[in-house]
Order: sequence, then C-alpha cells, then structure tokens
Amino acid sequence: MIAELTGQQVDQLFARRTDPTTALGQDAEEVGRACYDMALRFHRGGRLVCFGNGSAAADAAHIVVEFVHPVIVGKRALPAVSLANDAATMSGITRRGGFEDSFAAQLRLQAAPEDIALGISTDGDCPNVARALIAARDAGLLTVALVGGDGGQISRITGLDHVLVAHSEDPRVVKEVHVTTYHVLWELVHVFFEQPGVLDPKVVR
Amino acid sequence: MSGVESLYPFLYSGVSDVEAVLADVTRSTLEKSEEITRLRADVLELYRGRLIECARAMARSFAAGGRLFAFGNGGSSTDAQAVVELFQNPGAPARPLPAEALATDIAVLSALANDVSFDVVFARPLAASGRAGDIAVGLSTSGGSANVLRAFEEATRRGMLTIGLAGYDGGKMAEADTIDHLFVMPSSSVHRIQEAQTTTYNTLWELTQLALGTPGSAQAQQ
Repeated sequence: MIAELTGQQVDQLFARRTDPTTALGQDAEEVGRACYDMALRFHRGGRLVCFGNGSAAADAAHIVVEFVHPVIVGKRALPAVSLANDAATMSGITRRGGFEDSFAAQLRLQAAPEDIALGISTDGDCPNVARALIAARDAGLLTVALVGGDGGQISRITGLDHVLVAHSEDPRVVKEVHVTTYHVLWELVHVFFEQPGVLDPKVVR
Repeated sequence: MSGVESLYPFLYSGVSDVEAVLADVTRSTLEKSEEITRLRADVLELYRGRLIECARAMARSFAAGGRLFAFGNGGSSTDAQAVVELFQNPGAPARPLPAEALATDIAVLSALANDVSFDVVFARPLAASGRAGDIAVGLSTSGGSANVLRAFEEATRRGMLTIGLAGYDGGKMAEADTIDHLFVMPSSSVHRIQEAQTTTYNTLWELTQLALGTPGSAQAQQ
C-alpha cells in the first residue's frame, strides 16, 4: 500500500533547508578564515587529508576530487586524499585496532605537520573522526571540522583550529550545508592562493 | 571585468591586505548561500508534482522487492554513494532499503574501462544485476555523461524505473527517452547544481519513506 503524498509535504521538506543555509551565510567570516589558513598550508606544500563515516565518507571523497580535479578550467590541482576510500585498509585497521583508530592510525602514518586534517561528522559524535582530529592537532596539522547539530564531542575538543557547525538537527540538511561549505572552501582557498601577496609570511598575522 | 574579477575586486587591485580579501570572501560566501536558497526554490516550483510522482514510483518498486542502483562520475559518484548509504542506513525510525553504488567497485570499473570502454562502466553492471522493477538513479551535472546515458539505455531495456539528476539545461539527458523522471537543476554553477541535486535526492528519499508509511526524519523534526 503506497501512501498519497501532498505538495504541502514537499514544501515542508524544502522549507527545512532555508534557515540552516541562511546561518551558513552568517558564519561567512569564519569560513573565510578557515580558507585563509588552508591556503597558507597549501602554499607551504601541505596536503589536505579528509575523513568521515557513512555519507560523510562520500563527502570526503567529494572534497578530494574538488581539489585534485577542479571543475573550473585553469585552477591548479592541489594535493588531497581521503582516508575513507580504501575498504581493505579501513576494515583491516578496524579489525586490529578498533573502529576508533580507523582514521587516526592512517593519519599518523601518512600525514606531515604542514598538512590539513579535515574531519566531517554530521552530529559531531563520530569517535574515529574525533580521535583523528586530536592526533592531527597533536602533530601540528591545521585542523578543520565540519559538524552539525550541537557539534557533539568534536566541538568540545580543545585546540582545534576551525570547527564549522551546520545549524540543523536533521543529518540530511547538515549534509547539504556541508556540501555548500566545502564547495566554498575550495573556491576561496583558490582566491587566497591566487593572491600570493597575502600568503607571503610577512603579511601573515 | 570578468565574473571572477567582479566577485573579488581586491584580487586584481594589487592590494595584498589579508583583511580586505577576507571581507571579499565573506561577502562571496553570503552570496552563495543566498544563491543556493533561490535555486532550491526554483527546483521546488519546477518539480513539486514530479517529486511526488517519482517517490511513489520508487516506493512501489521497493514494496515489490526492487533494488536501487546509483551511478555518476567524479563528485556525482560520491553523490551516488551518498544516495546508497542513505537508503540502506537511514537510522531509525526509517526503513532500510536495498541499494548499490556502481562506481565503488574499482575492480569492475577499471576492468571495464581498461578492456572495453569507459562508456560501459555503469551499463555492464546493470546488465548483469538489474532486474525489471529495479531503480536506476543516474547523476550528471552536465547531463552529458556518456556512461550515464548508456546506463539509462540498459536500465530501460531491462524494464527498470529510471531517474535522472542533471543541471544546466539537462543536456543529452533532457533529449533521452530513457529517463522516466528527470530533474534538471536550472543553474550554470556545477557547485550549486550538486547542492540542489543533494536536496533533490534527500527529498526523494524522505518522500519514498513517507509513501511506504515509514517516517524518515519527519518525526525527529517535530
């Protein structure tokens, strides 16, 4: 038995997106500062390391393809990798070291201090994303987190550089705000990157 | 002034002041958040009825034992994965539904690309696994991906329900007679198109759950 659906239901679903998207616009300066810090890291030869679970694993892969193969012709490729793509590695580490270490173990092996760690968690409560961000912080990486809801345990980690919160309790809406956020991150990193003057150490504040 | 130049005037003025560039990018981010909100409103006006029709067809398919296959290239391949993860692992109280992302099996994908052609990487797995009554969801921002179009041809031959997400003017997907439900995001920005497509498939998922009588996140919202 398939239920009838109404136009009003569709309208309500779309309306649920409006306020969280407006809130992203209100956080624009914070987003811009994250982009500036990311551009500085790329400028120094750093690499972007992304990780997340479930739908956020797909986002990690999406972010990597944005940076490595830009959609806008003429933009340079920037180095990026996802720690969530390799099922053999992920499941192997998880079996030996437990789920919580699945990203941190890879990060400790692969990342350099000049790199950028970008962790995505729709509710901020993914223990393996949290642990990898802590490992990244301790190793001197730039740490950026995309979270949602109340920010969860990730928002309570001290010393992370940028924690960007999508203001919704609906994980689907959080994801949509994250997609816009990382599209903007990519575009604005290139804005800074194409202005070498602002990346020169003498103007860094 | 080029489009980029008008968006970021300081970039081209020789000014190397961080705060000035930050002011530019802050304004740009605000504009983008407004742009995607407008695009979602356009999509809603264009497709309110189509979303209902499509979700009810998907619900009928799942109720009859159908499975969903999702495919796309690049960023769209990650959207295909997200679609599959959403249908299979939505969290309570929503009902998990069977789905498969065709770009995630690198062995099959690279074998077909290497031995035959990249155009068949999605059509072949559908020929092997797709059954009448299954669902094919193909994503392409341009609407012109040859392998996505080939997959829709195969899906139609097999009697599957076919759903396409495209952008710009829909490209070749808009001309194809192999797509039962086509959603074209009316934008020329790849990024905004992908964002509106994400809203479209998330909404289709939630409407499918409602059509099956199993609330998605609707209850959690109240």
